[in-house]
Amino acid sequence: MAYVATRGGEKAIDQSERLYRADMGTIDAGRVAEIRRALPWLIDRVMGEASLYEADLAALALAQSGGDLYEAVLLLRAWRTTQPRLTIAEPVTQDKLFTHRRISAAFKDIPGGQILGPTLDYSHRLLATGVLEGRPFVPAPVEPASTPAPAEQPSLAAWQKAQGLVADPAREDVALDDIPDLTREPLLFPAKRAHTLQSLARADTGGVLALGYSAMRGYGNAHPTVNELRLAEAEVVVRHPRGTMFSAGRVKVSQAEVTSKGRSGQLDLGFCATFGWNEIKVIAGATLDLNAPDAPQNSPVNEEFFLYHTEPVEASGFCIHFKLPHYVTFQSALDALRDARAKAAAPDAGSAASAPARQPAVTEEVPA
Amino acid sequence: MTETTPTHEATSGHSAFLTALSHGDADSVKRFAEGLLPQLGAVEVLRSRTGLVMLPFRDTVKGTDFHLGEVLVAEAEVRLTDHDATGYGMVTGRDLEWAMAMALIDAAAAAGLTPTVLDAFVTGLEAANADRDRARLRAVEATRVDMETF
Repeated sequence: MAYVATRGGEKAIDQSERLYRADMGTIDAGRVAEIRRALPWLIDRVMGEASLYEADLAALALAQSGGDLYEAVLLLRAWRTTQPRLTIAEPVTQDKLFTHRRISAAFKDIPGGQILGPTLDYSHRLLATGVLEGRPFVPAPVEPASTPAPAEQPSLAAWQKAQGLVADPAREDVALDDIPDLTREPLLFPAKRAHTLQSLARADTGGVLALGYSAMRGYGNAHPTVNELRLAEAEVVVRHPRGTMFSAGRVKVSQAEVTSKGRSGQLDLGFCATFGWNEIKVIAGATLDLNAPDAPQNSPVNEEFFLYHTEPVEASGFCIHFKLPHYVTFQSALDALRDARAKAAAPDAGSAASAPARQPAVTEEVPA
Repeated sequence: MTETTPTHEATSGHSAFLTALSHGDADSVKRFAEGLLPQLGAVEVLRSRTGLVMLPFRDTVKGTDFHLGEVLVAEAEVRLTDHDATGYGMVTGRDLEWAMAMALIDAAAAAGLTPTVLDAFVTGLEAANADRDRARLRAVEATRVDMETF
């Protein structure tokens, strides 16, 4: 291992950070509030990938990073480590979700009916260019129904299990303290299902989409149909010191089941859920879960493959580490290249060219 | 108030009481707590901090409980030394004043102070919370589709 010294680095580093922040300008509470108000779907995505639900902090992270999502997620995950874990809430169950949107593409007549909720699925995608010419885009108000929708909707999967359409494995009761936690134990393979689902909940939306999409296009074993998709709010149910269970508030969540015909004469289901409203991620994540059993190793739907490659902080960190000095490593590759060229140009090039090129040692440098 | 005794019925009432405070309008809760202060006597703050609550989620396919992520919460616990009563508050987010206001109101209830006023305030909060939810659910209901008509 060799090192390369850099002179004047401290000042340059300081100035480079100043230049980065100067381009962003002053960040104040007003800017953070405006980001939170104007970009709720982006805030949801950052909170999900950061595995920390707090919209103001997510907006602050986006303001500080100028909208660089990986930087924002890193900031939030780093901040999260400064906070004590006070308790573990009661598990959220589907039948208790305060449901805003709930659809199925597999069954048209689902118990409780289909509620489109907030969506642009059926809208024209037209850019409101009039806004730039001084004509504000004012959305038309909703014309509310005379009666409210039920806050809670029945579970489609539970109905399917009762009908014998899908397997109904015995559920194992696990104490709250014993639920496996990726932030406190390593991800090992074959992964515990709790680790898989926690990892997908925190996964990079783009990564999950890319790999899930590959499965949808035929690189997986099963083509998905959306069994049930929900956008909802979940109660955070905690215990008062005197033992009373109560809700400390609600958080937005998304969940999806996708289905395909299984080999056993029943339907197979894949599942994914995340913080915030992000239906692309949960559909793609559930597709990966559906395809994972018996997936070939190194295929995009192999659990080890997709869990490792959709972890946003590790993946982005590995990518940006290549910016760190690799001068000696690369010099070795360059030496080998020059050596091969010299041998090829020599009079006895024929015999030399057939010899295998020397491979550079794989070493990396770190700044001193 | 019945929330000081740990019977099943009382626990259920206490649950609704606390939930109304944590779901209600933060400014209203703070103003109400501030109005209670002169009657509370000496207040000892046992806890006032932010922290994380891990939120488990139950998988609908295999029934596995897994961690969805951490929710930031504000937490407060107080003791009314003149009344030998404690109160506790926890709300999602970072609003320590809201959590403290909730703890003070909970402590006042535990001490049996002004039960009629407390009950009226919490009943009002519950009604406002229900109105807010009903308005949202009426908008949600407007998006219901009947697939037979497609």
